Amino acid sequence: MQTVTWTAVAVAVLLGIAWYLSYNAARLDRLHTRAEGALSALDAQLVRRSEATLELANSGALDPASALMLAGAASEALEAHNERVLEEDFLEGQSFGQREELESDLTAALMAALSAEVVGEIRRDDNLGALALQRVEAAGVRVQLARRFHNDAVTDVRRVRRKAVVRLFRLAGHADLPRTVEFDDELPPAVRD
Amino acid sequence: MRIGIVCPYSFDVPGGVQFHVRDLAEHFLAQGHHASVLAPADEDTPLPEYVESVGRAVPVRYNGSVARLNFGPVTAARVGRWLERGEFDVLHIHEPVTPSIALLALWSAEGPVVATFHTSNLRSRAMQAAYPLLRPSLEKINGRIAVSEDARRTVTTHLGGDAVVIPNGVNVSRFADATPNPAWTGTEQAPTLAFLGRIDEPRKGLPVLAAALPAVLAEHPGTRVLVAGPGDVEAARERLDPAVAAATEFLGMISDEDKAALLSSVDAYVAPHTGGESFGIVLVEAMSAGAPVVASDLAAFVRVLDGGRCGAMFANEDPADLARQLLRLLGDPAERERLRDEGSRRAQVFDWAVVAEDVMAVYETVTHGVDDWREVRDDRADPADTRWTRLLRGRRGTED
Repeated sequence: MQTVTWTAVAVAVLLGIAWYLSYNAARLDRLHTRAEGALSALDAQLVRRSEATLELANSGALDPASALMLAGAASEALEAHNERVLEEDFLEGQSFGQREELESDLTAALMAALSAEVVGEIRRDDNLGALALQRVEAAGVRVQLARRFHNDAVTDVRRVRRKAVVRLFRLAGHADLPRTVEFDDELPPAVRD
Repeated sequence: MRIGIVCPYSFDVPGGVQFHVRDLAEHFLAQGHHASVLAPADEDTPLPEYVESVGRAVPVRYNGSVARLNFGPVTAARVGRWLERGEFDVLHIHEPVTPSIALLALWSAEGPVVATFHTSNLRSRAMQAAYPLLRPSLEKINGRIAVSEDARRTVTTHLGGDAVVIPNGVNVSRFADATPNPAWTGTEQAPTLAFLGRIDEPRKGLPVLAAALPAVLAEHPGTRVLVAGPGDVEAARERLDPAVAAATEFLGMISDEDKAALLSSVDAYVAPHTGGESFGIVLVEAMSAGAPVVASDLAAFVRVLDGGRCGAMFANEDPADLARQLLRLLGDPAERERLRDEGSRRAQVFDWAVVAEDVMAVYETVTHGVDDWREVRDDRADPADTRWTRLLRGRRGTED
């Protein structure tokens, strides 16, 4: 009789532990997925921003010097993206590499080229340039959103992965610890108005 | 895009969050999106077509006051059915940390979730006690929005992480197109001032305005003060200095149309609020209607008025400073004209057209991520992926 009771208790405890582990694993999996999705969104918006900048540079709405500077910064950012296509499972060795710096450079180039007068002029003669500028703005806003949402997701992942049960039972598997992406994504103030 | 919006507060009573949800949904519907709102409401409350009632809310004591909340298995099942039927691309939950359908929706949500935080007062004993329980649900939020810097600070301190600030929207044209009412329009000898808000709620600041008025009346004896808002008029009148009471007209509760007309008629709108305002939508309404604004220097007001460029500001709870600002404005028609112009321009920033576009950018950002991982997941779809394994994993993944 006693053995039966003890066995039942042991089974119940084991089931409880199993449920708790599986619950935490599912939670972590969901968080990893969220971080992956957010990173892929950020990646896509960055590509869009570079492409829109190239379009703006080639639209003829800017002076050639500004156009060349923008085209340079945008194509470098695009090239870096194409060299390192994100793996299927983004968390395998997820890293932005040197791209943070390149994206900051593009932000700085946009900031330098798009002063209030230039933006006003582009918007006044409503042609290709104005359209491209609109696209730069839209992509720029979405880069800001995507980066913030990504970093939020990473913060959540890292917090859960610090939990003792996650570390002890290696619930994260071999997924790398995601890192926040830090670069300057400020839009030129004149563009945002 | 198919948008599901959850509003935890009952549509039976008017309120800031309810109006926000209504305007947002109507804006997206007008743009050709599909939008459905889930909210509590009494059975006999007439609801717009796009609002689905989750049943009537139960008054319960929560967080120090009586709140009308929805909970329990029946409500949870209704929320689940609405989610299933809606097949939303994005679920937008307002005030997710209320023990109501907001939390229930978050609990059963599986797709991308956007949450908007309206309050600048999240800290509650209940929340702290239930925090470990809430955490996994809150982790489902893909994009957080705060309606003001104060609301954002609350999110960062109490939940960690960050939120993007997208302010409340105002239907600028509704106020800009209002016809001034001659009865409320000021003249050189008898300028008019407007006050809006509960007259017996000291935080709305009527006592501060009352204390500033004797000095104003001394220089402009014809000044009329138009007070619009609910409350006990007789009691309020008794608290006033006799000269001030003679200059004050109580209009009681007024309709939205009258509010717009009032704001477009007066020589100044006074916002002497002493605290508790996280955004100040009424300031934007006044600016839209073209009323020069005189407001206390609450952080939220300073931001709406762009650091005082688009309105006159006075030291909070300082009647002498308020009187100084009022006298400066009443004696300077050119300055009033300038504030009208600056205000109308500033109000555009808060127009629904602009605000809704920012919200749509958030929707697009969070849904983009999901489409991508869904593709990846589908490519890797495991043949052993059964209902049972999905249940174990937390019911997420490949049901579409």
